[in-house]
Amino acid sequence: MKPQRWLPPALCLALPLAGMAWAWPVGLSPWRSVSILSAWAGCGALLASLVLMVRDPRFAAALGGLDSLYRWHHRSGTVGYCLLLIHPLALATDGLDESPQVAWQTLSPLAQDWPEWLGWLGLLLLMAGLASTFMPRLPYRRWRALHYLLGLGVLLGLAHLWAILGGSLGVLGAIGIALAALGWRLVVSDFGALARPYRVSAVRHPATDLVEVTLAPCAAALAATPGQFVLAAFGDGEGFHGCREFHPFTVSGIGPGGVLKLDIKALGPCTRHLQHLTPGVTLRLEGPFGDFLAAAGDGPQLWLAGGIGIAPFLAVLRSRLPAQPTHLIHLFRHADDAGFSDEIQALAAGSPNLSFVPVASGDSPPDIGPLLAAVPGLAGREAWLCGPPGLNAAASRALRRAGVPPEAIHFESFEFRS
Amino acid sequence: MKKLFISSTLLFGIAVTGFWLAAALAPEPVGQRAVAAPADKQYSLQDVAKHATPGDCWMGINGQVYDFTAYLPGHPADPAVIQPWCGKDASEAYRTKTRGRPHSPYADTLLPKYRIGALTAK
Repeated sequence: MKPQRWLPPALCLALPLAGMAWAWPVGLSPWRSVSILSAWAGCGALLASLVLMVRDPRFAAALGGLDSLYRWHHRSGTVGYCLLLIHPLALATDGLDESPQVAWQTLSPLAQDWPEWLGWLGLLLLMAGLASTFMPRLPYRRWRALHYLLGLGVLLGLAHLWAILGGSLGVLGAIGIALAALGWRLVVSDFGALARPYRVSAVRHPATDLVEVTLAPCAAALAATPGQFVLAAFGDGEGFHGCREFHPFTVSGIGPGGVLKLDIKALGPCTRHLQHLTPGVTLRLEGPFGDFLAAAGDGPQLWLAGGIGIAPFLAVLRSRLPAQPTHLIHLFRHADDAGFSDEIQALAAGSPNLSFVPVASGDSPPDIGPLLAAVPGLAGREAWLCGPPGLNAAASRALRRAGVPPEAIHFESFEFRS
Repeated sequence: MKKLFISSTLLFGIAVTGFWLAAALAPEPVGQRAVAAPADKQYSLQDVAKHATPGDCWMGINGQVYDFTAYLPGHPADPAVIQPWCGKDASEAYRTKTRGRPHSPYADTLLPKYRIGALTAK
């Protein structure tokens, strides 16, 4: 594991601990203490979740990559929500010493005032927003709109804190962190304030439901390397109106003058619409993100691609042919989906180090074991996997069974939502 | 994480329902909503002023005298907000929380526990 990958979990631990230390109760009943500590621990975890939602190339690289940031953003948000659930329940339990009626009055919104209503509303929004994150089939736009409820829920929770505790240092610090993180995310990331302008200079369709676009920079180009991905928001052009929302795409080619190639598979409403892209359409790019293949060693390599997961390997091969023995397996469903087989076959014909195995697996999951067993010297190879999570997991298990050490297995899944 | 979210949300719902049922079904303690004893004790503002520290904190609120010494550490707001009212008539502060909004009905239910007598006009 890269050393920076410890930073997101460290942040997820540090902010709740800082919150608890700041509000450490003295001389209170045990349940009231539990209530205060769970509130501040939950608040700290949610703040960490907000910070980890910031989408900036340098910030992501410093903290071990965007996928790691988003994984811990998700974990910290869920744990923070669970801790906040304890807060009102512990307060009510404290009231049981008096009577069940007093305990209920600490919970019932009817017995409260607007500072407490803010807290309840914040908690309900967190509940609704989090529930939506666990619905992978939800359309992206609806998912994103519901995800914004989480940010609003955190802000209402902080307003609840401010209304009860006043503008103390801890409360103002928490509000400051939340506003800075949300502001950066909304203005810089989602609005694309720092995104670079590009223009579509060429379009081709290498396979069914797949469009390859060549992008020319309109100003300073992004410094992308093979294996990285960018977030692209396509705008308008002649006869084309873009969906204008940022989606991640792996760079599949890097040309002189900052020209980039992206291969876009029709996987959702926006990417399906992008199949109709025409030259001249303007777009904005954020990134580059990721370091897939950046740490590839000098020894023999195994590259395994599933579907459009061929893109990072294609970017490398289009830049340079491998200097070490490299075995590339490309899995796709049908011949119509292959896309780049002819191009890669031609490259392999000119390179003694590159062997290429295209495999049409049909509609059933591919049988990875025999495919890997046919790779010469498999146990001594460094494996790079890029495909859907199911394929990555199955291949990773098969490689370990075949004697490939876990530290020599690298994979990247591009299925996160941004 | 999905299992954690679902199980914690369900447990929360069950617990809230449990508190509601307990309050609805349990007999209400006698005199909980009434102003509690001792009704015969009378204190003046001068008496209250002698208890003006966080370690010995009395306040007058709406004609009653309360000993909040034991409650002060549990007050949700910053101590700097409530402590200056020790030894004083805090009726206006209680009604407005110094920001134009009253305390909640829940806060009202806590008062009787700390009442020690009535505030005389002198």
